[in-house]
Amino acid sequence: MVKLILQRSTEALRRHKARGADSALILPVRLGSVPEDVALAAAMKAARFTAKAGEVLAVPGAHGFTILAGIGGGEAISDWEAGGGAGLAAAAGRAHSVLLADAATPEQAAGLAAGALLNAWRFNALRDASKDKDTPPAQVTLAVAAPTKVEPAWVRAEAMLRGVLYARDLVAEPGNRLNPASFAERLRGLRDFGLKVEVLEGKRLTALGMGALCAVGGGAEHGPRLVVLRWPGKLKAAPVAFVGKGVCFDTGGISIKPAAGMEEMRGDMAGAAAAAGAMLALALRQSPAPAVAVLALAENAIGAASYRPGDILRTHSGKTIEVLDTDAEGRLILADALAYTARRFRPRAMIDLATLTGSIITALGHLRAGVFGNDEALTAALMAAGEGVAEPLWPMPIDDEHREILKSDIADLRQCALAGSGAWGGRFLSDACHAAAFLREFVEGTSWAHLDIAGVEAREEAAPLGPKGPSGFGVRLLDRLVAMRFERDA
Amino acid sequence: MPDITFVKPALPRSGALVLLLAEGAALAGLAKAAEEATGGAVSRGLEAAKFKGTKGQSCTLWAPSAGLAKIVAIGLGKADALDAQGAENAGGSAQVAVQQEREAVIAADGLTPTLAASVAMGARLRSYRFDRYRTTEKEEDKPKLERIAIASAEATKAKAAFAPMQAIADGVFLTRDLVSEPPNVLTPTEMAERCKALEKLGVEVDIIGPREMKRLGFGALLGVAQGSAQEPRMVTMKWMGAPKGKKQKPLAFIGKGVTFDTGGISIKPAGGMEDMKWDMAGAGTVIGLMAALAGRKAKADVIGMVGLVENMPSATAQRPGDVVKSYSGQTVEIINTDAEGRLVLADVMWYCQEKYDPRFMVDLATLTGAIIIALGHERAGLFSNDDTLATHVKEAGSAVGEKAWRMPLGDAYDKQIKSDIADMKNVGGRPGGSITAAQFIQRFVNGKPWAHLDIAGTAWSSKDAPTVPKGATAYGVRMLDRMVADHYEG
Repeated sequence: MVKLILQRSTEALRRHKARGADSALILPVRLGSVPEDVALAAAMKAARFTAKAGEVLAVPGAHGFTILAGIGGGEAISDWEAGGGAGLAAAAGRAHSVLLADAATPEQAAGLAAGALLNAWRFNALRDASKDKDTPPAQVTLAVAAPTKVEPAWVRAEAMLRGVLYARDLVAEPGNRLNPASFAERLRGLRDFGLKVEVLEGKRLTALGMGALCAVGGGAEHGPRLVVLRWPGKLKAAPVAFVGKGVCFDTGGISIKPAAGMEEMRGDMAGAAAAAGAMLALALRQSPAPAVAVLALAENAIGAASYRPGDILRTHSGKTIEVLDTDAEGRLILADALAYTARRFRPRAMIDLATLTGSIITALGHLRAGVFGNDEALTAALMAAGEGVAEPLWPMPIDDEHREILKSDIADLRQCALAGSGAWGGRFLSDACHAAAFLREFVEGTSWAHLDIAGVEAREEAAPLGPKGPSGFGVRLLDRLVAMRFERDA
Repeated sequence: MPDITFVKPALPRSGALVLLLAEGAALAGLAKAAEEATGGAVSRGLEAAKFKGTKGQSCTLWAPSAGLAKIVAIGLGKADALDAQGAENAGGSAQVAVQQEREAVIAADGLTPTLAASVAMGARLRSYRFDRYRTTEKEEDKPKLERIAIASAEATKAKAAFAPMQAIADGVFLTRDLVSEPPNVLTPTEMAERCKALEKLGVEVDIIGPREMKRLGFGALLGVAQGSAQEPRMVTMKWMGAPKGKKQKPLAFIGKGVTFDTGGISIKPAGGMEDMKWDMAGAGTVIGLMAALAGRKAKADVIGMVGLVENMPSATAQRPGDVVKSYSGQTVEIINTDAEGRLVLADVMWYCQEKYDPRFMVDLATLTGAIIIALGHERAGLFSNDDTLATHVKEAGSAVGEKAWRMPLGDAYDKQIKSDIADMKNVGGRPGGSITAAQFIQRFVNGKPWAHLDIAGTAWSSKDAPTVPKGATAYGVRMLDRMVADHYEG
């Protein structure tokens, strides 16, 4: 992670000048405002710069290299984040950058810096990035009037930031490096931050009756794991629970996927990564809310021991499932994880995250994740949290028809609708809704929401808050949800 | 279709008797009379059948004496929870249970006159059959029912309450007929001709063809039509029912009427293509709605407009890559000739606004497969630029069992239909496919409150529902009639 230096603005500006062309000065500009500096004001006018959030203008000249970064009206912290992110992207190629926030509130200044650092994330562990043209400055200085006043806001923002980047790093890892065993090993490292980490595997999972998780992960060299992360918090209350789908690589299994695009399936563990990232954020900012994350890790491999279409699985809940499509594996491992979480922790609320269906991408595109659930208040809180942190959701229904289609002749329920049973020649099935109806069978009456994050777990193109690739979607949302809703007594 | 009459409660001497029984209620009125006339056969039969009166439960007692062929008991659920929909569903179930008898009495003497009318409405709606093209159906397979008498203590009041419902049912049946008709019969010309039937209800009907469209500049609609041997039509139906002195701008309903959709040059897969005869269901719904409003003499000024075309591949068909100029002046690059409904709506909607300056517009279209993948078949997708209008549509739908689900719109989705060569392209890719379709339509909304119902999943049903036999559902007729009644009359 690029390191942030919090500095008094007079000092930061002095150093900026001394560094000459090696340093970029990023100035947030509000809609309708004009910089005092005559040259900058003239440049802004000439370039028709309007200061929309995320709009930038590079002005090389007498004051070194200056970047005007639009922050729109500046009312929402997300505007400052967009300005910081786009501003830092424009500073690429320079060794230093200074974000000037001497007239901002501590929260706005922290937002500006968080945006910049979200933008600066890269995953270059496996390549030589020295010739990249878009390399962000290695040093980012947040220049403020009084660093000690900004410090607490930055500590909170940094916790969120580190959670997001932790999740992105995991999602970026390829399948040959991140398997259920090595994923669990990395999660053990979270002990350093005060989280309790338990890893259940092998006979333990069998003994717990996790027939679905064991079946999905059974075809791989590295068997499935169920990882439990616990943050004790301070409140005497039941924990809020996050449940994550962690399919380290998804071939589809016997119902194998087409070859084109299969490489993207290394990211099919983004739900688990987001849940882990959120736990890290809560620990780093010492949240008073008790929280638990249960991560179902498996590789859906194809092999002699793979599970098959037609198999009947007995889940941890006792319910049996008829498998129709081994590529609808996420809901199976979540079934075990949800029931286990509900029974063991009796959580105040249970939120699962999963790159679950292509159907949700057809429904909502890459701009919003779908939220399903059984508790309108929880859904509304998630929606509000998402709007505040630029991780927007849209509510989706679970109707009677979606449950009915899962009726099985041989088991308690089917895992999905029969292929080809949809409208217009079988092509159109509302699989995202079916999957949600399926998951609902395993929540045991817990207040529950399901986020189908397929389509938003990775960015298709660079944006102010991050480069193309893993977005860490869900970390900020959960962190904000906890802050809004679970840090007071039940 | 059986006649429906309202009579004072009296035991019939032959045919069938239907008892509507609430959960846990003692036999009373006609039910008690039947019990006495049959020497206790009713209570003995119900007990033997474990009939409790729960919602949807039914039980047939054969030859219970007193000259009756059968007594059918239908459960209403809890008496105090019975609403119009519950009464309609009971009526629908009653219709099915007695359709092999010539005459039936439905004992609605325990219900209010309004609920008794709803029972009649349910029976009427369920009695629909489209058997115009059956020539060899066996006599024993045909329904025999000629007359349903609804027994009500306040028969006159019930009859009065049923009169407007019957007009609505007539509208529903008109829509179901149009949607059921095969595409070689129901061409755009024929469909326009059938609109003229509304003239005898007092609706002004105006039809234009390709020459007038060309003169007006309907380039988008004509591009779709140009591949077919069938000429396109646009029909305007005006119902001016607002009382003098209370005139406001008219309400406008616009329907997509693709009488058959092959997909054109971007031809559809063969499997299920026969379903594309109902790609005119939006238009069919608008026509039925106008019949319903006029039939019950709604006190509102309403414009119904439908664009009728056939989408065929041929030597003269429009190609992917073509650019057409719509009536609004905006140009459209055709990427996929199977995204044709939005092109038809574009011209009709712009014309509607220029000519009639409506208070709002609601359009209906079997627009996208994506909406089925998103929501399934229980709900239509609802898109709107106006929260009040959207709420009115959604609530009216819930009241009559035609449910809708709000879907998102936004600039970020709109970007997906940017074109390199024209003002927009006609598809935005698979992600968020029904949303980008709605964004396309919104580009032809000129500052008016507008709602768009994507009814691709709800226009046709593959299974029976209590008041809707499988096949054409006429989804939208009752919803929009109800919306007009609740908010825009008087």
